[in-house]
Amino acid sequence: MSDDILLKATDVVKTFSTKSMKFGRPNLSTAVNGVSLEIRRGETLGIVGESGCGKSTLARCLVQLLPTTSGSVVFEGTDISKLSRRGLRPLRKKMQLVFQDPYASLNPRRTVGDIVAEPLRINKFGTESVIQERVRELFTTVGLDVNSLTRYPHEFSGGQRQRIGIARALALNPSLVVADEPVSALDVSVQAQVLNLMADLQDKFNLTYLFIAHDLGVVRHVSDRVGVMYLGEIVEMGDADELYDRPMHPYTDALLSVVPELNDTDAPRRERVILNGDVPDPSDRPSGCSFHPRCPLATAKCKEEKPTLVEIRPGRTVACHYPKNLG
Amino acid sequence: MPESPILKVSDLKVTFATRQGPLRAVDGLSFEVAPKEVVGIVGESGSGKSVSMYSMLGLVRDANVSITGSVKFNGREILGLSDREMQPIRGGEIGMIFQDPMTALTPVYTVGWQIIEQLRAHTTMTKAQARERAIELLAEVGIPDPRTRVDNYPHEFSGGMRQRVVIAMALSCNPKLLIADEPTTALDVTTQAQILDLMSKLQETYNSSIVIITHDMGVIAEMAHRVVVMYAGRPAEIGDEIDVVRQPRHPYTWGLLGAVPRVESRNDRLATIPGNAVSPLDIPEGCAFADRCEYRMDICTKRPQLQGDHGHLDACWLTDEQRVSIRSKATP
Ligand SMILES: Nc1ncnc2c1ncn2[C@@H]1O[C@H](COP(=O)(O)OP(=O)(O)OP(=O)(O)O)[C@@H](O)[C@H]1O
Ligand SMILES: Nc1ncnc2c1ncn2[C@@H]1O[C@H](COP(=O)(O)OP(=O)(O)OP(=O)(O)O)[C@@H](O)[C@H]1O
Ligand code: SF4
Ligand code: SF4
Ligand SMILES: [Mg+2]
Ligand SMILES: [Mg+2]
Repeated sequence: MSDDILLKATDVVKTFSTKSMKFGRPNLSTAVNGVSLEIRRGETLGIVGESGCGKSTLARCLVQLLPTTSGSVVFEGTDISKLSRRGLRPLRKKMQLVFQDPYASLNPRRTVGDIVAEPLRINKFGTESVIQERVRELFTTVGLDVNSLTRYPHEFSGGQRQRIGIARALALNPSLVVADEPVSALDVSVQAQVLNLMADLQDKFNLTYLFIAHDLGVVRHVSDRVGVMYLGEIVEMGDADELYDRPMHPYTDALLSVVPELNDTDAPRRERVILNGDVPDPSDRPSGCSFHPRCPLATAKCKEEKPTLVEIRPGRTVACHYPKNLG
Repeated sequence: MPESPILKVSDLKVTFATRQGPLRAVDGLSFEVAPKEVVGIVGESGSGKSVSMYSMLGLVRDANVSITGSVKFNGREILGLSDREMQPIRGGEIGMIFQDPMTALTPVYTVGWQIIEQLRAHTTMTKAQARERAIELLAEVGIPDPRTRVDNYPHEFSGGMRQRVVIAMALSCNPKLLIADEPTTALDVTTQAQILDLMSKLQETYNSSIVIITHDMGVIAEMAHRVVVMYAGRPAEIGDEIDVVRQPRHPYTWGLLGAVPRVESRNDRLATIPGNAVSPLDIPEGCAFADRCEYRMDICTKRPQLQGDHGHLDACWLTDEQRVSIRSKATP
């Protein structure tokens, strides 16, 4: 891993206007509320957070599958948030996505060989025989049987379908792979196979991953650095081991404390912090610190003053007036 | 076991006749639940967890199903009871919580109406008494402002709040046994923590037994006193939670535990189980796990029986010596 920055996002905002009308005006919901982050070449940046906190929306903005409302995204030196559709096209193949649902993301009417060949054909990778050769190579790389090229997605298990999705994502040698909950739909034993495969591929091709998941164990396992999202904002970011062992934001602390763990060692447990209430809706953002209605440490200041993301140590940022584990 | 079990399942088999042939969803499940005990049933998708519970309760409404074995609730055989005979048991002495709270709730009625109906069907309460009890129950499961919320419709609650309502319904008749099928799988981790916490507290207050079905070993470790590990419709291992998690005996349990990425520590590569789950249309006569087991032996073409000491049972042909030697190599 180097400090070479592959992607740099600054103050990315994404607002949706939803149908329901509030006071006669369309309801605006800010799904991503000013996110800044850097992804270094060769690393895995993990993003965790609960349902609806804006992980997928952020991912889509970072690769410009969704236009950002404001802010900039610089990828390999180009501000892609300012590019036209056409200007984006040559960069698209360098940023590939792997989705959560291997069932929904593969066309049921096409053979899996065709599915993997498609990006190669669109991008005129070479003659048909060169493309076929590349498809076979990709199948071998992700651990699929090359004799199954002419079969259809429904003939494969969930884990195998996710391998097909990965093969397709790798077809054009991308520099960034954005994986949005790539293993959430899989059973643990199959999930472990896919996670190990992704790690092997990263070593082999020096891939950079943006890895999104709600499973905190999975994110720790795969990530070099981790960002924690709450209500469209990154509330804490840092080296994965650091952040998990010494969380600074009260939300991270609470999240980590309630993950059900196998108590298979005598190591003392984290003190459980059970939060009250539900995750709020982004169209109804609390004042001050967005987390204050649920935060066990909230004070009057938190209700009024919004904490900004500050760098406590190099590479370690947190948005909280009273961060923990400072020492 | 000191007290007689509240639930005793013996050799439960559930087979669906399908176009592709007989599908053995549950293939010889036996376990017991003692009073006040929390039993966790864990296994991967398709291992027969839900079908086993639904068949016990007479809820598998499929003309092509055949169910054999015995299920004794409080000493009484309940397998094969008619719908009318099951009615007072389901939702009365046995409460149920499902993964998707909307399966238990009807969208067109207020939650209060639904709890009141449940109470009136199983008790002699008047409407007014039932309404008071419904409000009490909502308060007990942590619904804020229950006197107002009792008149809300399910869609006016968040996912976590709906699951609380379902728990209130399940508890309404002081059940001796609660069956919870993936009660927190659809919920976020902070909401899951709230619900698991609530279930533990209520279990103590009501002295009920719980059977909790999940694919999450962590949830089992947190909640269960005893664990049943299922693979391909069969129990692979049964034992006290601490024994199964700390001294697992079955190769499938080894793989299952090793594959879980942990929050408290990090390892470079996870343990994996090769291959995919066996198709329930095509379960081998012998050990169901044989195709994926790296310790397979010739004898494994014969079906291993559940056996063991001190309530820690497993179905595998490996000898104790073999297991000790395999595990001493496997653990770092
Ligand atoms: N196309 C859209 N139109 C309106 N609102 C949207 C749209 N897409 C997302 N949202 C809203 O934006 C917020 C963030 O959604 P997003 O899908 O990014 O969350 P997420 O963190 O990926 O959640 P999950 O873990 O459930 O996948 C949610 O409140 C969601 O309802
Ligand atoms: N009505 C039915 N007809 C035919 N097969 C069925 C029927 N219901 C369930 N099955 C099959 O029985 C097997 C066991 O299903 P079951 O729902 O019990 O699994 P499970 O362990 O609960 O899985 P999950 O974790 O996905 O909920 C599966 O292979 C399923 O496809
Ligand atoms: S700023 Fe205040 S409310 Fe927000 S996380 Fe920190 S302590 Fe809690
Ligand atoms: S019985 Fe044989 S195949 Fe089955 S788990 Fe034991 S060793 Fe493996
Ligand atoms: Mg998402
Ligand atoms: Mg199920």
